[in-house]
Amino acid sequence: MGELVIRATVNGAPRRWTVAPGDLLLDVLRREGYWGVKNGCETGECGACAVLLDGEPVNSCLVFAAQADGRRIETVEGVAAGDRLDPVQEAFLDHGGVQCGYCTPAMILVTRALLARTPRPTEDEVREALSGVFCRCTGFKKPVEAVLAAAARLADARPAAPPAGRKPARKAAAR
Amino acid sequence: MSGASPPSPPSRRAVVGRRVRKVDGFKLVTGRTAFTDDIALPGLLVGRILASPHAHARIRDIDTRRAKALPGVHAVLTWKDVPRVPHTTAGQAWPEPSPYDTYLLDSKVRFVGDRVAAVAAETRAVAEEALRLIEVDWEVLPPVLDMEHAMDPGTAVIHDEPDATGIRDAARNLAGDIHTHIGDVEAGFRESDLILEREYRTPRQQHAMLEPHIVICWLDADNRLVIRTSTQIPFHVRRQVAMILRIPVSRIRVIKPRIGGGFGGKQEMVLEDLCAALTLASGRPVKLEYSRHEEFFMARTRHPQILRLRMGVKRDGTIVAHHMRVLAATGAYGSHCTTVQGNTGSKVLPLYRAPHLRFDCDVVYLTTPQAGAFRGYGCPQGYFAQESLVDEIAHELGMDPIAFRLKNAIRQGDVDELSAQLGEGKKGLPRTIRSCGLPECLEKGAAAIGWKEQRNGGVRRPGRLLRGVGVATTMQGSGIAGVDFAGAFLKANEDGSFNLQVGATDLGTGSDTVLAQIAAETLGVSLDKILIYSSDTDFTPFDVGAYASSTTIISGGAVKKAAEKVRDDMCCFAAQLLDAPPEDLVCRDNRVFAPGGKSVSMAEVAVHALYKEKTQVMEGASHFNTDSPPPFCATFAEVEVDTETGRVRPVHLVTAVDLGVAINPMQAEGQAEGAVAQGLGYALAEELVLDGRGRPANANFCDYKIFTAKDMPKLTTILVETEEPLGPFGAKSIAEVGINGVAPAVANAAFDATGLRFRRLPIRPDAVLAALGGRR
Amino acid sequence: MFDRLRAFHRPATVAAALRLATAERRAGGRGAFVAGGTDLVVQGDGSLRWVVDLSLLPLRYVRRRGAGGGWTIGSTTTMADLERSAALRRFADGVLCDAAATAGSPQIRNRGTIGGNLANASPACDLAPPLLALDASAVIAGGAAGARKAAGGRRTVALERFFRGPGRPALNGGLLVEIVIPAPPVPRGGRAAWAFQKLGRLQSDIAVVNAAAGVIVGSDCRCRWARIAIGAAGPTPLRARRAEALLVGRPFDRDAAQAAAARAAGETRPVSDVRATADYRREMSRVLVGRALDECLERMGRDPWASW
Ligand SMILES: Cc1cc2nc3c(=O)[nH]c(=O)nc-3n(C[C@H](O)[C@H](O)[C@H](O)COP(=O)(O)OP(=O)(O)OC[C@H]3O[C@@H](n4cnc5c(N)ncnc54)[C@H](O)[C@@H]3O)c2cc1C
Ligand code: FES
Ligand code: FES
Repeated sequence: MGELVIRATVNGAPRRWTVAPGDLLLDVLRREGYWGVKNGCETGECGACAVLLDGEPVNSCLVFAAQADGRRIETVEGVAAGDRLDPVQEAFLDHGGVQCGYCTPAMILVTRALLARTPRPTEDEVREALSGVFCRCTGFKKPVEAVLAAAARLADARPAAPPAGRKPARKAAAR
Repeated sequence: MSGASPPSPPSRRAVVGRRVRKVDGFKLVTGRTAFTDDIALPGLLVGRILASPHAHARIRDIDTRRAKALPGVHAVLTWKDVPRVPHTTAGQAWPEPSPYDTYLLDSKVRFVGDRVAAVAAETRAVAEEALRLIEVDWEVLPPVLDMEHAMDPGTAVIHDEPDATGIRDAARNLAGDIHTHIGDVEAGFRESDLILEREYRTPRQQHAMLEPHIVICWLDADNRLVIRTSTQIPFHVRRQVAMILRIPVSRIRVIKPRIGGGFGGKQEMVLEDLCAALTLASGRPVKLEYSRHEEFFMARTRHPQILRLRMGVKRDGTIVAHHMRVLAATGAYGSHCTTVQGNTGSKVLPLYRAPHLRFDCDVVYLTTPQAGAFRGYGCPQGYFAQESLVDEIAHELGMDPIAFRLKNAIRQGDVDELSAQLGEGKKGLPRTIRSCGLPECLEKGAAAIGWKEQRNGGVRRPGRLLRGVGVATTMQGSGIAGVDFAGAFLKANEDGSFNLQVGATDLGTGSDTVLAQIAAETLGVSLDKILIYSSDTDFTPFDVGAYASSTTIISGGAVKKAAEKVRDDMCCFAAQLLDAPPEDLVCRDNRVFAPGGKSVSMAEVAVHALYKEKTQVMEGASHFNTDSPPPFCATFAEVEVDTETGRVRPVHLVTAVDLGVAINPMQAEGQAEGAVAQGLGYALAEELVLDGRGRPANANFCDYKIFTAKDMPKLTTILVETEEPLGPFGAKSIAEVGINGVAPAVANAAFDATGLRFRRLPIRPDAVLAALGGRR
Repeated sequence: MFDRLRAFHRPATVAAALRLATAERRAGGRGAFVAGGTDLVVQGDGSLRWVVDLSLLPLRYVRRRGAGGGWTIGSTTTMADLERSAALRRFADGVLCDAAATAGSPQIRNRGTIGGNLANASPACDLAPPLLALDASAVIAGGAAGARKAAGGRRTVALERFFRGPGRPALNGGLLVEIVIPAPPVPRGGRAAWAFQKLGRLQSDIAVVNAAAGVIVGSDCRCRWARIAIGAAGPTPLRARRAEALLVGRPFDRDAAQAAAARAAGETRPVSDVRATADYRREMSRVLVGRALDECLERMGRDPWASW
């Protein structure tokens, strides 16, 4: 079986893996100790396996590991700085957005991607962003509140953004 | 999104009643190893199950030689290789009330997906290749797929094995039956001014917890069998595996790590026995898990039911008599069969204080996926029927549905005698209502949904989009009276922290947090001083497990007792330091206070006890209740019906719930909201469909639709607090009750919008469209 | 799942991709192109021996066509690219963006490509109806048919002829390079509008039925050109030509729209499955085509007759 060597950046650190041609990114990440990447269906529906690939959320169960060669991967393990939680993680805890926690890594990652693109999302935009992560526990009310709270926290933390800077985001949101 | 209105907790409580973070939250948001599969074991083999392709067949012969010869295969098991011990997989207290009709592996299969053989191999690929190499000589038998004909003479007998026990009438495919009554319904009907009789049908719903069933087994250094499993019932699993594999309980250790949801689907020994058998056969660690596809039909489902209800009322709206007849299918095996169905009667009928109640129920076997426990445990079916019928009767009488319910609903001080007739597997105990906030639930819920303004009145108006509102009132229990019990153990550490060990099983519900809050409040310490651990059969005390809405009230009761003992011990030692009588001391803020205000820290007390008095402060306690106080719930739905597509879209769901005292209001709301999401699926989308040969037609998330963030309507959760004397700090339960009223509230709202009654779940667009067309 | 896979090629050019595929096919063994993998991996064909990954090909683009106007879209352009393309949003009422935005979840749209969507040839694929309503064609390189011509030769197939049956695109092993959308024939003083409609069981779902409509009216407010395309209502996405004919030459108004919708439903050939019954699909074809045409009317400024 022809093995491949792939190089990717995971949570900022360069990684070099030997994989089989048919290996999927989900399995390789878990094999390499990124346990936060969860398997909930293996058919691209539930989103539990979501990671960020060059900053955009994808379901790692549908990505061949070979396709990750040369790319930037973020998993939930890279979100906190040591013991210091990211505002998104804090918000999920403070707002009851976590129940069993199986969907939580994916929720946190898609939230990070959303807020990077749309710092002040509307509730509809939040629901759209979370729509690819199934959660059987929460009914989504608290996760949605957590995302909105995280957005607010991050916006407040951002060093004095000029008020004009926020407007376009709002407009896009209204669309 | 309108927020919930959290009631302000009694201000004197420092921890109970607060919206604190989950105690296990950190590891979950950081993705650290928490779940069953999050470990790397050297030499781990992968187990796979050969699933039956036939709904009903006998294995004439099975040849595993080629599979065994495949390099990388370490064990192949068929019925020939394992002990034959009839058992039930239901996770219930011993002696289980479910029939012993199941075998580790059998020479007969009873549904598509039933176990034929199991393999453990170096990789999943090798294991699957080995499965393909197993040759089975089948004698295919006629499938039995229609519950209405399962008992017909001449139908194939599903459980014809001689050694099964506890089956009501195997020759007729009757797994169990229940016949019970109070008063005399026929006399009641004669007194009634209006009698309505209606039939309702409910689907095979699947739990679809995000983490499918998974088990990892290995032999430890002492050659003991370790079972690391995603379960709600570690102690029952230990007992069952010991019995099935004929090894002593002392040889087994069950570890329950974090669980990715259960909802009753893991109140069952689903894979542990087979994984353990593969470990024993191979001598290697083995992982056995269901793929999502397998989870849908090889795990468990909710029992589908056909319910026929007949209710008689007086013109003034007084319910006189109610006769509920239920036909339910348990599928291939009878796990939870009479207890789930018993609940359909005992937790539903008594909601209305009619003098004449009767419940008749048959539970039949089918050659279909196995039913089992599922959040609500028989109540969602019963309440869909009862609350739809009650709504219809109120409409017929021209009464407001809320007024009708208030007039008839059980209230504080009432004794529900039907529960005494229907215990878990034996005579139960009468249920005294010591707390009931149902009127307040109805009042607050009605205000939140805009009951007066939004009601359309069940008349069909012109227009493409029709809106309506509906209500349902429901209750549940809090633990199984006289059956459920739990233990808790606490010990003090020298820094004033306490280890709390419980057998209670947090499956994502947040029970670890709630139990830690109870301990902290009782001990007068902050939450971070409680180090809770659950559950490991070697280290934590017994607990029946996480089911029947029992954890807060039963396990919580045990924790409170243990904490009270430890608090008293701490006070005794503090008394020595403070020079005051122990009974005058007060624990709060991590300190022990004497009447004059003098105090010592818990840490000082612990150090004193340990190093001066040479005493480890530690206490255990057990707890059980002889009654099961019901939480009450009023669910309101506003829906929009698209008359062109037949789609019923929920717009707003209000859950007003009397849960006693909320130990953690944030988590309590989360339980209610999650229940609504599952309830909406039950009402509008979820059904495991089988084809004419019993094969699943939608065993994947693409065609088994569950509600996503985009599908969920606006949710309002209202916690109505009452003081329950039997619960720790006045708590009852919250985990299940919220699911019961969703489907009937939605159906009643759809009626309010269209004037049409929908008596079959899920309410499918094509059925709605057909009904609308019929009226046009 | 893909345990038999022994070669994973990642070519950088179309020519190299075709060369690798040809060589692998000669050597025997099943194989496939893969782009986003959102169909291929889910289908999980364990017999695959080789894969040629298209993600490194320079085919991720949305370009204005030179001379006659219109657009070309590279086959590895993702659903998310389409959804967010500011240029396409301004073209044909953003009908392609709207359709792309309904496909799967955000994670699926970040991977799934236009090429994969069409090459998978599912009757329910969401990009087919709008592309059919835009008279799009597929540009294919290589493959059995292409090989007969000059090596590396390209052929253009009208999208309507591209779908031969469920899972059967007219590729013959060739590589879908790009989609070409001609400039719509809007006459001077005329108006045009497009709309996409989709019905799933829940919000995010494979279509139970989907439909797109495009209408061009002349300055006389008579319909000059009409396209009605429906998905998941037959073995392939289909054009409802008789319904289109009903519109052309007549004033475009609500009545015409409703009549066309009813006729379009008659042109479908739906099946019953676990998602919906055939009858329901037929009825929904009428509803969705009606809604799409209504939306076109609305976009043209409601009743064109009124302003005439
Ligand atoms: C959870 C989920 C939800 C989905 N929802 C939707 C939906 O709502 N609507 C919808 O339309 N689709 C949906 N899809 C299907 C899928 O995402 C789309 O069809 C997607 O566009 C496929 O693109 P891809 O790049 O991932 O294709 P791939 O999986 O990479 O390829 C699909 C097929 O096309 C072939 N192929 C790909 N590119 C080319 C090319 N350039 N030339 C020749 N052959 C090629 C491959 O060999 C393969 O046979 C969904 C899929 C999933 C998993
Ligand atoms: S595991 Fe990848 S989407 Fe479910
Ligand atoms: S918290 Fe359990 S699946 Fe989301």
